[in-house]
Amino acid sequence: MAVPGVYMNKIIVAVLTVIIAVVLASVLYVGYYSREIHVRVATTTSLYATGLLDYLAEAFEEKRSGVVFDFIPVGSGEALRRAANGDACMVFVHAPSLEKKYIEQGVLDEGHIFAYNYFVIVGPSSDPANVSRASSVIDAFKRIYRVGEEGKALFISRGDNSGTHVRELSIWARAGLNPRGRSWYLETGSGMGETLLVANEKKAYTLSDIGTYLKYKKDGRIPYLTILYTNDSELINIYSVYIVKSCSGSERKMAEEFMKFVIGEVGQKLISEYKVKEYGVRLFNPVNGRLELLRSLWVKLSEG
Amino acid sequence: MFLMETIPLIILRTLWISGTAVVLSLLWSLPLAYLLSRKHGLAKIMVPVFDALIGVPTVLIGLVLYMLFSSRGPLGFLGLLYTPYAIIIGEAILVTPLITSTTYHVLNNVISTYGELALTLGATDKQAMMVALREGLPGVLASIAMAFSRASGELGIALMVGGNIKGYTRVMTTAIALEVSRGEFESAIMLGVVLVVIVVSTSIAIRFLQRKVYG
Repeated sequence: MAVPGVYMNKIIVAVLTVIIAVVLASVLYVGYYSREIHVRVATTTSLYATGLLDYLAEAFEEKRSGVVFDFIPVGSGEALRRAANGDACMVFVHAPSLEKKYIEQGVLDEGHIFAYNYFVIVGPSSDPANVSRASSVIDAFKRIYRVGEEGKALFISRGDNSGTHVRELSIWARAGLNPRGRSWYLETGSGMGETLLVANEKKAYTLSDIGTYLKYKKDGRIPYLTILYTNDSELINIYSVYIVKSCSGSERKMAEEFMKFVIGEVGQKLISEYKVKEYGVRLFNPVNGRLELLRSLWVKLSEG
Repeated sequence: MFLMETIPLIILRTLWISGTAVVLSLLWSLPLAYLLSRKHGLAKIMVPVFDALIGVPTVLIGLVLYMLFSSRGPLGFLGLLYTPYAIIIGEAILVTPLITSTTYHVLNNVISTYGELALTLGATDKQAMMVALREGLPGVLASIAMAFSRASGELGIALMVGGNIKGYTRVMTTAIALEVSRGEFESAIMLGVVLVVIVVSTSIAIRFLQRKVYG
């Protein structure tokens, strides 16, 4: 029985070596990592996924070394909830009615509108509900509801409390309609990209942000969908940045500097030029002296 | 494909985080499995529970840990949220039922066959246990390979408590999820293939090691 004994000793030595190596690697890793100031930034996935935030952060870090932005890409709802728990120093979101709620709860400090673009109603080019001839976004949704009830159209909803979903629900509410539970109204509970794919497969209508739509269209993933309706007031998509009240110290100082950079001249220019060459149109519009107008639209949207 | 330059680092990070999680979990899972194999009364209640918990939703563990590690949570003072350690702890918890349950079944089998055989051949208790451990080792190693696969393939914990932070807590699965949300399906698939290759080669490496040791 000597052989198993020797063999067990070998195993124990090997296991201990592995554990020590792992602990050492961990210590080195964290020691290396914690030399810089980290700013925890909760952001909506759509904003992060376009690459805009990394692009802005890189430009900022060029001038200001020793700071790293830890972007945590989640939905607007989750981003704000994490901020309320004190788990973010800064948030980038696009859901005015949710933002208002958290401002009133005292979670968010000063905030700024830093960019905007548009939501679009997309659907099959056959357009059974004649959305392209709608006189307003409310009229467009009413048309979809009517044709949906007749069984001739489907509407795909995000259903995930994201900025886009919150906006869609507020349009239904303003139209005085409640599509929830109707057989033609499907909630995917997933991201914008997945939702567009479902809409494409089912030749259905959906509300999308322009950025995700353009990306998927350009890649040829949603051949059956086309933009049927948009306008520049009711379907405006306003992106805001906030500092979280519970954030303090050097992290807060850096967050404030980054916010100033984003809303400042250089940041705004970078936003206006972002990926214009690739898509031929702007993904994000800078604020550019339209702040008063955007603020009044934001207030209107925040009231649902 | 903006991930390209960072893919090797994401792979290393995934190996480190999931490997550490499995090693950590072994520290309590193996003694627990041994304990259960000795105490039949306890095993009767606990083993079905562990068997069932093998499939617990990872996002549930992630959410519970998030609430514990949050600044406002009871363990917020540890500063673990959004660190690789939070993911390691979560994955160690995740694979505990898997390792405990599979190891228990292996031990139970070998003790009742080889252990008792050794005893009837005149071995002492300790010697009988050594024989059982030696015979059970292939099963335990298989259980480790399974645990590593489960840990490196989970998404919910890494997203909730890791935060998918570039260069720090981004692992293979969160990178795949991000690529999907960016509409970069091709690079998501590529990452997925890499993950499968890693998991399969780890399993083969463990098998190989086992053969080497046994000669």
